[in-house]
Amino acid sequence: MVTAIFPQPRGMRSQPEGPGFLARADLQVLMDLLREDQRHLIGPTISDATIIYDEITSVEDLPIGWGDDQAPGRYRLRKRADERLFGHVVGPTAWKKWTFPALVPLTTATRDGHKVGFAPETTVPPKLAFLGVRACDLAALASQDRVLMGGSFVDPDYILRRASVLVVAVQCTTSSSTCFCTSMGTGPEVTSGFDLALTEVEDGVLVDAGSAAGRAIVERLPLRPASSAEQYGAAATVAQVRARIGDPVPMAGLHDRLLAQLDHPRWAQVAERCITCGNCTLACPTCFCTTLTQRTDLAGRTATTDRTWDSCFSPGFAKVAGGSFRSRPRDRYRQWLTHKFATWVDQFGHYGCTGCGRCITWCPVGIDVRDELNAIAPAVPLNPETVLVDPVAATPNEFVGARVIHTKQETADTTTLTLTGADPAFSKGSTGQFAMVALPGFPPLPISISRFLPDGIELTIRGAGPATTAMCALQVNDQVGLRGPLGNNWPLDRAVGRDLVIVTGGIGLAPLRPVLHAIVAGRRRFGDVKLFYGARTPADLLYRDELERWAARDGIEVALTVDRAGPEWTGRVGVVTHLFDQADWDGSNTIAFVCGPERMMQATATTLAGRGVPASRIHVTLERHMECGIGLCGHCQMGKYFVCRDGPVFSIAQLGDTFGREGI
Amino acid sequence: MSTVAVAARPRVGVVKFASCDGCQLTLLDLEDQLLDVVEHFEIVDFPEATSARSAGPYDVLFVEGSVSEPAHLERIVDLRRRSRYLVTIGACATAGGIQALRNWGDHDAFRDAVYAHPEFIHSLARSTPIAEHVTVDAELRGCPIDPGQLMELLTALITGRRPQLPDEAVCMECKRRGVVCVMVSKGLPCLGQVTQTGCGAICPRFGRGCYGCFGPREQANAAGLTRHLQMAGDRPREEIGRLFAGYTAWSEPFRSMVTELGGAGRGPADARPGSTTTTADDPAATGGTP
Amino acid sequence: MSAATNPPVDERIYEVGELTRVEGEGSLRLRVRDGEVVEARLGIFETPRYFEALVVGRTPDEVVDMVARICGICPVAYQMSAVHAFEDLFGVRIDPVSRALRRLLYCGEWIESHVLHIYLLHLPDFLGYESGIAMVADHRPVVEAALRAKKAGNELIKALGGRPIHPVSVRVGGWSRAPRKAELMALRPALDEGLRIAQDTVRLVAGLQMPPFARETRFVSIKHPSEYPFSDGRIVSSDGIDSPLGAWRSLFEEFQVEGTNALHARSLDGKGVYLLGPAARITLAGDQLHPLAADALAATGMAQLIQTNIYASIVARAVETVQAFAEAIDIIDGYAPPQEALVPWTSRPGTAAWATEAPRGMLFHQYEVDEAGRIAHAQIVPPTSQNQAAIEADLVVAAKEVLDLEHTAATHRLEQMIRSYDPCISCATHFLDLTIEEV
Repeated sequence: MVTAIFPQPRGMRSQPEGPGFLARADLQVLMDLLREDQRHLIGPTISDATIIYDEITSVEDLPIGWGDDQAPGRYRLRKRADERLFGHVVGPTAWKKWTFPALVPLTTATRDGHKVGFAPETTVPPKLAFLGVRACDLAALASQDRVLMGGSFVDPDYILRRASVLVVAVQCTTSSSTCFCTSMGTGPEVTSGFDLALTEVEDGVLVDAGSAAGRAIVERLPLRPASSAEQYGAAATVAQVRARIGDPVPMAGLHDRLLAQLDHPRWAQVAERCITCGNCTLACPTCFCTTLTQRTDLAGRTATTDRTWDSCFSPGFAKVAGGSFRSRPRDRYRQWLTHKFATWVDQFGHYGCTGCGRCITWCPVGIDVRDELNAIAPAVPLNPETVLVDPVAATPNEFVGARVIHTKQETADTTTLTLTGADPAFSKGSTGQFAMVALPGFPPLPISISRFLPDGIELTIRGAGPATTAMCALQVNDQVGLRGPLGNNWPLDRAVGRDLVIVTGGIGLAPLRPVLHAIVAGRRRFGDVKLFYGARTPADLLYRDELERWAARDGIEVALTVDRAGPEWTGRVGVVTHLFDQADWDGSNTIAFVCGPERMMQATATTLAGRGVPASRIHVTLERHMECGIGLCGHCQMGKYFVCRDGPVFSIAQLGDTFGREGI
Repeated sequence: MSTVAVAARPRVGVVKFASCDGCQLTLLDLEDQLLDVVEHFEIVDFPEATSARSAGPYDVLFVEGSVSEPAHLERIVDLRRRSRYLVTIGACATAGGIQALRNWGDHDAFRDAVYAHPEFIHSLARSTPIAEHVTVDAELRGCPIDPGQLMELLTALITGRRPQLPDEAVCMECKRRGVVCVMVSKGLPCLGQVTQTGCGAICPRFGRGCYGCFGPREQANAAGLTRHLQMAGDRPREEIGRLFAGYTAWSEPFRSMVTELGGAGRGPADARPGSTTTTADDPAATGGTP
Repeated sequence: MSAATNPPVDERIYEVGELTRVEGEGSLRLRVRDGEVVEARLGIFETPRYFEALVVGRTPDEVVDMVARICGICPVAYQMSAVHAFEDLFGVRIDPVSRALRRLLYCGEWIESHVLHIYLLHLPDFLGYESGIAMVADHRPVVEAALRAKKAGNELIKALGGRPIHPVSVRVGGWSRAPRKAELMALRPALDEGLRIAQDTVRLVAGLQMPPFARETRFVSIKHPSEYPFSDGRIVSSDGIDSPLGAWRSLFEEFQVEGTNALHARSLDGKGVYLLGPAARITLAGDQLHPLAADALAATGMAQLIQTNIYASIVARAVETVQAFAEAIDIIDGYAPPQEALVPWTSRPGTAAWATEAPRGMLFHQYEVDEAGRIAHAQIVPPTSQNQAAIEADLVVAAKEVLDLEHTAATHRLEQMIRSYDPCISCATHFLDLTIEEV
């Protein structure tokens, strides 16, 4: 997994003498210094009801007292209550307008009879100073540096232009609803890549030098040392900006997640909205695709080739004589998003996006890449429900004790033990987890936790061998050893807002019982909930009183079946899949939890897939030979997973074709 | 769009169908480049500019205007036969023009007009682009065409390369020039996203939304734009229809939008008796051919 | 079509099936029998495009854009007549600088249109060439200068409206964008040179051999107490008409004539045909010429001739080109951006009527606006359709002058006469009153 190369955000860079304070009244001195030596100063200014970057000369040219309100497809200026100079965020102009201009002549070709000649065009770029470069745009400059200068082939025009720029960064003291630099790891703090960095405070700016050129300017400014209150206040303001932006796009593993979704239905859905107009790519400060255009005189003697901004969204971008490689708008949208957020990392070692939000604001139809990313490649949810508690006795040597306070014989061979006195960690486990249960002299065995109580747990055990039979025979006040809670959980939070289908048989209801408890506790959060449960005979059905209660009172649709029954059984007979393979329901908004013998789970998964339930939303729990429960004994390995540690709950999408494959 | 090797000094004709003359005028408005052009091209027939006439054959024929009356049907076929390379210029020739708005009218009602002007009989029910009648080798879009694109086409004809007439949205040109998007910053509806570039983004540069005079571009998602304008701008359907009911309304997908949303009107909704027309010597009865 | 049989009397037919070097598609037919003109017809076979029907149901700003498409040479004139008509009905007061910018825009169009006509369409007749381009071989500097002057006019329209043909920024209430001073000042050198070229042009055309021609002509134009007429003033004539600009329909009417796609016009007072255009304006409003233009006119000594010899209208057109350059320079020098480039407005139902001076003469628009702010009815009367009767009257006069010329030369002379009007035939046939009755 590749991590972004952008450094972790820190506070203001400290220098031996600390940042200086430049009074507002002296800001013109800085601007004049920046314009010395025929350097042109480019900075924010208002034009056409927008804050753009353009050539400026005086403080009066800055958007004094103006801020901006940005939303997908919407930009409006807003008068601030104060007279701040930099109380806004980025506008439609990207700095690449000067470092990577929209039109650059590359080559002039001449033809004289048979002879042809090609002479490179070199523009001598003017010296520039950029005033007001935000952290996201610093990262964008760094990205283009890497793309255009940092590889095996370089762009000489970019090198010249980049070298002639003095960068004066500005810390963001406000943010827009479209910013997500925090997620991309590029801001809001300015950390490197600048000659000078300014942070605006009440009556001036704090000035920090980041290079020799910057220091040379600092020495000529009427600065006084910034007080610690000023420095603290500045850092606090930027920290507030960070807090306000939050973390709109969880980035962990985004590269892999996104590339795993090349067939996601959302691509087609966003393509219905996307006009493929190219605005996002040309507003983007890191996009670098260009095209060549020819300018010839009528006689055809001289021709100049120009390089001009292009966009992968244009229909002709990927055309060859035989057709286009990306003929459909959905293909082109997918190209852009996956390049920006996945394959760019493979190519250049960092994400192509700096979180500046321009593509969101300046999309005329308001498509928001954050929504698209979260829909197509959602992050593994990190909400408190599913934070797994650290297991106790988590070494191969240890166990903790627990005491039996209640036993219940569920069926002829299955007993539920209620345990208390165990480490509180057990009560905080999640549905689907298991414990390693040990009795002296017997091998420890993995048993699913069938209920979580405030002061203990329940274990439902089928006496299938000597150890489990011994456990079933325990009496009140007997003690056992426990390690856990172990493994992962049923992803119930991914079921919020969806329909749930739970399919199980026999003892398989035990690991699912806590799920049903959790559903009942928050029934309104879920759609239709169906439980399909089968057993060999009616006497083998577990938790019969709960089954009745769930069906009668708790809004769960319970369908039962048995393999064979006597005359007193008025319910269904047959395998559990028959309970739902005839029904006509649309599974596209369904999540399924399945537990039972592997063959039963395979058949169920196939039937569910046929109903439109996607593989990423069919979850199974796997049983394997376990001896330690913590991935150290090697027994439960299946393919790339250790079932005890990476499971036992897996989605069919995760398992791929290892599921059901003989001999894995 | 095919390319053809034209002669060393191609023989050029410029002809006009139903149009305003603006696209032909763009040729004369090449100003300082015009004399250069006439050195490389021999203009053999261009009634607006020269009394010299020629019935062809033409190496290159520029056709302005839409097919709008019966005589045009035969004339365009005849001209096509005499031309090696036929270029349609302007929205009338490439899309039927603003006058194509009458195509949504009730054609039977047209024929039942109370004042049966003789000229009226010589009008077709529809104004249609040239390409609906003959094959076209190249087209220059616009109302009027852009002089830069005209020079590019002329240069391409001489040098033998494919003319560079990009099929991208006007948005790209706005962004290259640093023009701020009028839809995002002012809420003005703008067809630039679905319109083919070529004009240099004139309307957004001058503070208004694009009205699509260069016609719909390839894969224009007019339906997506319409949905957005309806939801985000809370605009009534007919208002959005009128956006598309402009100079290139007859081209798809603008045409479907106009048909679905309305906006083309039907012409005068009620006849005004005793209106501006009086007939002299009862010409209505005669119906002579001019 | 030539006479296939020997006519029993001396009948000559002068015919041009498709007039060249005029805007639009027209034909000429003159039939003279025994020295008497029995048919004088400017036939217009330009295809009608039904603009007066197309604008029904549209909004005022849409109409401003649409009517420009009536003519590629004078789109600004259509935008001006329309926008002033709406502003008059809605009671819109535009910023005074917006008004100056509109005059500036009109200057640009007059320059472009007049220079195009003088050099590319009309002058070749006087010098014996087929086209302005053909003149290059012998008169390259003259043609290049003309193209530079025409370009100056086009660049002016472009600076204000985005492009010289069908500019985009004219709106009810003013401008979608007003230019910056620097943008206009950048045009000064070209306008200065254009002024000099225009002054040279006056001298050039004043020295041309004018074919003999004389007809007492009745002129109609707009007149304003302190400006050379563009979009403001009153309708006046050389014989006593003096009415508001919106009152065209109380003075004139349109009627259909067989064999031509363009409606004719006549004055309701029965006083006969009337002429619009540069000759009319110079005659009726010459006292408001810019001093530089007045001087240029005076130096020709042809002010009287312009009133009776239609061929001399080329001189009137050249003087007006000086006028346009001179006024453009003055406006730019005094320009500061408007306070409010676009003022808000609401529509009112009623009749919107106005006339402005297109390069070729007075152009009248009238619109019925309904309660919803949409156009319910439109009438557009271009100068060329109004001039048709005068053209045909002049053909009758011209017939006498050409009878003793060789036939081809005579026909050319008649074409040249028609070109003196600078007819804009696309304008004349933008419409037909499309009245639909459901069966």
